[in-house]
Amino acid sequence: MLGASAALAISSCARRPASPRPLVSIVRHPAYDQGLYDSVRRLLLDHKLNVRGKRVVLKPNLVEFDSATTINTHPLLVHAALEAFRSLGAAEVRIAEGPGHRRITLDLADAAGYFQIVPSFDGVFTDLNLDEITPRRLKRPVSKLRTVYFPNTVLGCDLLVSMPKLKTHHWAGATLSMKNLFGLLPGGVYGWPKNILHWAGINESIADLYAAFPNTFALVDGIDGMEGNGPIQGTPKHAGVLVAGDNLPAVDATCCRIMGIDPLRIGYLRMSAGAEALAEHNINQAAEAPRAVRTDFQLLPGFQSIRLGGA
Amino acid sequence: MNNLPELSGRQNPDGGWPYGRGSSWTEPTVYALLALVSKGEVSSFAVSRALEWLKASQRPDGGWSPRRPVEESTWVTALVLLLPASMLTQFNTPAAVSWLLAKTGRESGWVHRLRSAMISGQVQGRVPDGWPWFPDTAAWVAPTSIAILALRKAFQRDPRHQIHDRVQDGQEFLMSRVCADGGWNHGSTKALGYDGPSYPETTGLALAALKGLQPGRLARGIERAEQHLETSRSLEAASWLQLGLLAQNRRPLEAPSLPVSPQRSYGTQEAALAVIAQQALRGRNVLED
Repeated sequence: MLGASAALAISSCARRPASPRPLVSIVRHPAYDQGLYDSVRRLLLDHKLNVRGKRVVLKPNLVEFDSATTINTHPLLVHAALEAFRSLGAAEVRIAEGPGHRRITLDLADAAGYFQIVPSFDGVFTDLNLDEITPRRLKRPVSKLRTVYFPNTVLGCDLLVSMPKLKTHHWAGATLSMKNLFGLLPGGVYGWPKNILHWAGINESIADLYAAFPNTFALVDGIDGMEGNGPIQGTPKHAGVLVAGDNLPAVDATCCRIMGIDPLRIGYLRMSAGAEALAEHNINQAAEAPRAVRTDFQLLPGFQSIRLGGA
Repeated sequence: MNNLPELSGRQNPDGGWPYGRGSSWTEPTVYALLALVSKGEVSSFAVSRALEWLKASQRPDGGWSPRRPVEESTWVTALVLLLPASMLTQFNTPAAVSWLLAKTGRESGWVHRLRSAMISGQVQGRVPDGWPWFPDTAAWVAPTSIAILALRKAFQRDPRHQIHDRVQDGQEFLMSRVCADGGWNHGSTKALGYDGPSYPETTGLALAALKGLQPGRLARGIERAEQHLETSRSLEAASWLQLGLLAQNRRPLEAPSLPVSPQRSYGTQEAALAVIAQQALRGRNVLED
């Protein structure tokens, strides 16, 4: 699709060998309070993440100017993660996002409360829409994408932490840690929205972006999510959980079960991991079991078929 | 507005401007140039270096890419065509105009319409042609608005029917994307039947591009823009709202009331747009001159 002469293939994209039963933690946390700092730190310790001396990028989901709803990842959770990774010895922790619709990212972050919550936010934040870029050729893409320009901030990090909001999505069914990777594409090249991903196939593009970044971790803001016509116009839905793990399809499958959605009916999950890997018995669920915290999210009429049975 | 960057201090050694720090991009370079021009600076060393950078960046197809490693001409071609005619003589401007005239949103092409008709069983009427951000993708409000502004200027130099018709069609595209609240967002007014709200920045930009349309068609858009300007905390949005309202013969809020947050830094584009809007309020509108 793009000129590939100068492009480098992503050579290091061999994903870490998947654990037979990837660990996914579900922790109850009822509110955005100071206790988040301790909860997040303990979550990361449970997963034995070795980030000493590493460069970590936290990728929240910043979508819209509205601090009164549950569209954006809560800044207190992002700050808790920033502090936790620093305390674990990370050499550098940055927050980075490339919103898909609104192009004035710092205004968006300001409206979402990031400047108020994260000290010196300007200094630790990278607008991925306007970052330095490098073309990368995708290996064995399933979408129509071939070569993609990626921001150097994410290409150069040792660990990319996807921090989505627990939300339904009016095209993909659910938007979680994998769909959150759409924000990695630079709007400065592709525009607002990054419409190239829609023409290349939404589910397929999500799968390709996931494959392009092998060192990932997910920390999902499931305290207050969004149901119905997500990811922007839905209704706030309290779920009171944090969900974390280094296997993004397993994390997202777990989130789906919490939302009362059948993960096997989410196209990009099936495509990325296969039905067997998404089965609940093949995921090592730590702390809470999905059914113990299940709270069915309302689904749009056209999405009733993805409802998980056994409520 | 003390924490706005001094534009000339941000210029890179290669002559272009970065968004914030780092490499030169076409978009901030053009906005910085327009800001300098709006202040009457047309022959400085900074301007000539920027024009050299743009000249070297023009691609063989006549367009410009967002920055040099990118091997595609995109919407920023229209931005370059906003520069004054005296500057455009340095480029292959006819090729750039041709490139722009040839671009449409993918959804209005016959291949897509035929495919949609076969899938839905319904033949869709003709869709007005807008412009995409990136080739082979759909048309959206912002790139369409910039293309209209650019072609309006091109028409002053070269009054061809083809240019006039594309401007009119582009304006109809914008009118087909009015949100329920009267303003404009990125270009998706409804999602699964739900109304999407307008954004301040795209409302201002669309109003700037819709100059000359029958005033009655824009009454709600103007009203929405004035509401946005009262509440927006974004400097870039406020600048576009001022430019849009000026284009519709409204006198918007003066520059000192622009929202500048002491908490954060501002990029080249935001600073340049603020200068462009201020100068337009003083009677020198570089988007229209």
